[in-house]
Amino acid sequence: MTQNPLIQVKNLDLYFGAFHALKNVSVDFNAGELIGLVGDNGAGKTTLIRVLCGIHAPTKGDVFFDGKKVEKFHPKLAIDQGIETIQQSVGLCDNLSIARNFYLGREPVKRILGIPFLDFAKMREKSSRVIRQFGLRENVSADDEVERLSGGERQSVKIGRAVEFKNRVVIMDEPTNHLSVREREHVNELAVQLKEQGLLVIYITHDIFQVHKLADRIVIMENGEKVADASTDSMSAEALEDVIRQGGRVVEKEAV
Amino acid sequence: MKYLVRSQGFGATIGVIAMLAVFTVIDFSGWWTIQTLSNVTQFTAILALVALGQALVIMTKEIDLSVGSIYGLTGVAFITLEPSLGVPGSLVVALLIAAAAGFIQGTAVVKGELPSMIVTLGGLFAARGIIYVWTGGSVHNFSPDARTHALTRLLGGELFGVEAALYWVGIVSVLLAIMLWGTRFGNRLLATGGSRESAESRGVRTDHVKTTAFVLCSLLAGFAGILTLCNQPQTHVTLGENMELEAISAAVIGGCLLTGGRGSILGVILGALIVVSFRYQLIALGAPSSWYITFVGAVLIVAVIFNQKLARFLGHSV
Repeated sequence: MTQNPLIQVKNLDLYFGAFHALKNVSVDFNAGELIGLVGDNGAGKTTLIRVLCGIHAPTKGDVFFDGKKVEKFHPKLAIDQGIETIQQSVGLCDNLSIARNFYLGREPVKRILGIPFLDFAKMREKSSRVIRQFGLRENVSADDEVERLSGGERQSVKIGRAVEFKNRVVIMDEPTNHLSVREREHVNELAVQLKEQGLLVIYITHDIFQVHKLADRIVIMENGEKVADASTDSMSAEALEDVIRQGGRVVEKEAV
Repeated sequence: MKYLVRSQGFGATIGVIAMLAVFTVIDFSGWWTIQTLSNVTQFTAILALVALGQALVIMTKEIDLSVGSIYGLTGVAFITLEPSLGVPGSLVVALLIAAAAGFIQGTAVVKGELPSMIVTLGGLFAARGIIYVWTGGSVHNFSPDARTHALTRLLGGELFGVEAALYWVGIVSVLLAIMLWGTRFGNRLLATGGSRESAESRGVRTDHVKTTAFVLCSLLAGFAGILTLCNQPQTHVTLGENMELEAISAAVIGGCLLTGGRGSILGVILGALIVVSFRYQLIALGAPSSWYITFVGAVLIVAVIFNQKLARFLGHSV
């Protein structure tokens, strides 16, 4: 018995004006799977996941979540369905504290006289406890503004947040950027753990060798097209690297 | 102390201290008299209410140029509808008109993805036009009955020798401060101004947040208009003219960054105090009233430079 894919992308096209960003992309993503989404800059990886997390609506084609066709694309709807995304350039508001960013969009409240006020004690305590695991320095307080953090610490806020609110899908866009070697290993272990807990993990990276060790399956994109989709058992990292190096053209036929 | 310096209102606090020091030393016309203080604080309270609404919109990285006209329109509605609806009825309807104006403009900005400066410039002219058509250029007054109505007294009277507007601005600013820093909506409003894209990616409906900010802004402008008329129940077609510029000045002097996401309630009130005090002093000096605009302009530019330097000093990206 094969179960339905958790996310199914079917013949997806996306245009930004005249620019054809995604070309007839079809991919299945299964629960309990760690998928490496690999490709060069501008290959369409980030654009594809931005459709999955509701930022872009496709021009043509469909996305099915848990067997149901997605009719409306909005980040709020994606989050409500349990899709957590660690994005590269967005996700943190510089003017807000770590705790406020951590809980943005789902702030815990404490009722005083029936009026819901932010539960600052909980926001502070929980956010700093979770984020410390991912490399936040001890002398940084949850009340400090995100603006003051280093690149790695910013990343750790996003990762901590996704782990805390994980639900069914965790999408990681270049999660190990800006991280030290040890933090990188921790994030990679974490990706595997999330998968073992039955979540779908989509891991986006340039580094085929790094993700090949973790992933069950590798999807390679090039110029907005999917050029390879193979299990890591069936293809070595070297073979997949060749696919990327040759723009997906030559080896594609052998791969599929 | 650390909190005070880090607060966005720090620049305005220094400004007010410096201004009061100067007015004490170079005293043109009896600054520290009951009469002067009562006038200045009354006008400050009215302007502060308008500027507080403006500040909410600025914190979402938008701007509302229509507040002066909405202030006038709400006031005119309040006075002209009173004979048929009574004081409470016309108060509610006038505020509904203000809220509707804010809702229409906010919706146009977020749904039409239009620059708020253009939409609310349209609102400024449209609402002013309605005032002219509605009043036919004539002056309207409250009847003696309406003047002594309990609600009119509550909004425009005085208690312990202090004008009602001061109590109202106190209540409103406490409520706004709690809303901004202590509730979900406030967190999302600040996030929307800080980075709309990031807020959206966390599931914040930034369109709803912005529309709500525009509605609150128009409501506060309208409420300020009503307070003014309860105090002096007479409308004229120029009611609230140029007030948008004073309100924006007060908000910016008070530390609201036009880049969004940062501001201070106390700062805005102090900003309003600075603007109104300058106006009062220039009038007291006998300077032509047109000079006042020039002065506000100069103060505004100095304040922006100062606040920006201060923000850089504190390590914010501006």
